[in-house]
Amino acid sequence: MEDVLEEVVSSDDLKFGDKVFIYLHCSTEFMQLYLCNSRGYKFERIYNEQLRSSVITQKAQFEYAWCLVRSKYPADIRKGIMLLEDLYCNHNDSEKRDCLYYLAIGNARIKEYTKALNYVRSFLQVEPGNQQVQHLETLIKKKMEKEGLYGMAIAGGVIIGIASILGLSFAMVKRN
Amino acid sequence: MVLDQDVLTVLKLLMIGESNVGKSSILLRFTEDEFHENMQSTVGMDYRTKQVTIDGNTVKLAIWVSHFNDTAGQERFRTLTPSYYRDGQGAILVYDVTDRVTFMKLETWLNELNTYCNKTDIIKMVVGNKIDLPNREVSTEEGLQFARRHQTLYIESSAKTADGIKCCFEELVQKIIQTPGLWDRHTLINSYGNGNMGGVRHRGQRGIQLADDAQLHNRPSNCYCSLI
Repeated sequence: MEDVLEEVVSSDDLKFGDKVFIYLHCSTEFMQLYLCNSRGYKFERIYNEQLRSSVITQKAQFEYAWCLVRSKYPADIRKGIMLLEDLYCNHNDSEKRDCLYYLAIGNARIKEYTKALNYVRSFLQVEPGNQQVQHLETLIKKKMEKEGLYGMAIAGGVIIGIASILGLSFAMVKRN
Repeated sequence: MVLDQDVLTVLKLLMIGESNVGKSSILLRFTEDEFHENMQSTVGMDYRTKQVTIDGNTVKLAIWVSHFNDTAGQERFRTLTPSYYRDGQGAILVYDVTDRVTFMKLETWLNELNTYCNKTDIIKMVVGNKIDLPNREVSTEEGLQFARRHQTLYIESSAKTADGIKCCFEELVQKIIQTPGLWDRHTLINSYGNGNMGGVRHRGQRGIQLADDAQLHNRPSNCYCSLI
C-alpha cells in the first residue's frame, strides 16, 4: 500500500457497508410501500419523509461506494463506480467533488486509465490548484507508463517470435 | 534506498482537527517538502506514505488525513469515522494558533479519538500550526497547558516555513517505538502473509508481546512460530 491507488478497504468495512446499505435500501423501499399504502396522509408530510429517506440513502450510497472502489476485487470496484456515477448525477456541487475523486480512483484501479484521467481533468477544471488531485493524476500517469512499457515489451516479444518463425520458414523453403 | 526487509514496522498515523488548520499542508511539507498557499479542502481521505529512519530504526509511516473528520465533512460522513481511526498508532491533533475556536475544539477531537480508537495507548501529539502568522490568538503557554492536562506531546509548527514539522513526526514516532505493545515487527506481519491491510493483523495478538528488544536479541533466529 504505497499510495491511494493501492490502499485496500478492510473487509470489516465492506461487510458493514453492505449491511447498512442493504438495510437502508430495504427500509426506503418499505417506507415507499408504506407511503403508497397510506393515502390520506398530508402530501407535505409524505414529501418530507421521502426527502429525508432519500438523503439517508444517498449518504449510505456514497459510503458504500467509497468502500467498494477501494476493494481488491474488480467486480466490487465496478459496482462502486456505478453507484458513484448515479450519485454524481443527483448530487449538489460540494458532493460532486467527492464523487469525481473516487470515480477517478476506482477507474484507475480497474485500469480504465483514460476514464480515470478524464475524471481527474474535470475535477481540476473546477479546482485547478488542488494538490491532492494533481498528485492522483501523476500516480495514474506513472501507472499507465509502467503498464504501457510492459505491454510494449510483450508486443515486442511477440513480434520477435513471429519474425523468427517467418525467418525459419523462409530458410526452410529456400533449402527445399 | 532501504529494502523492505529493513523496515522495522509500518505505523498508521492520523491527522485530526478542524477544517483549514493546515493538516494537509503539514502532511505535504513532511512528505514532499512543498508548501502551497491556497490549499483546497481534502477530498474524502488522503493517504501518503514516507519512510523515516529514527535512532537507527527505519519505519514506514502511513499518514492519513481526512475531510470526513473535520467539521465541514463530519456530519455527512459520520459512519465512516470508526474506519478512519481503526488501528491508528499515533494521532496528530492540529489547531491554528491564530484561531482560538480551533484550539477550543481540540477537546471534542480528543474525545472522539478516545471513543473510536481501538488502541488505548495511542500516542497523541498536539500541534499548534501557522506560527509564521502575526495575529496569534493562542499562546504557547496555553497550548502546553492543554497538552500537559491531557498527557500528550506538544509542538508548534509552520508548514509554510517548515518549522517544527520534521520534529513533530520524529518525536511522535520515537514515542510510539518506545511503547511496546503498540506496534508489531514488520517481519512478524510478513510471516502471517497478511501485509495488505492494517486492520487484520493486530487483532487478537495483544497478549503476546514479541516486540521486546532484549528478548529478541537473545533469540538465535527470527522465527516467531514457536511462540504462537
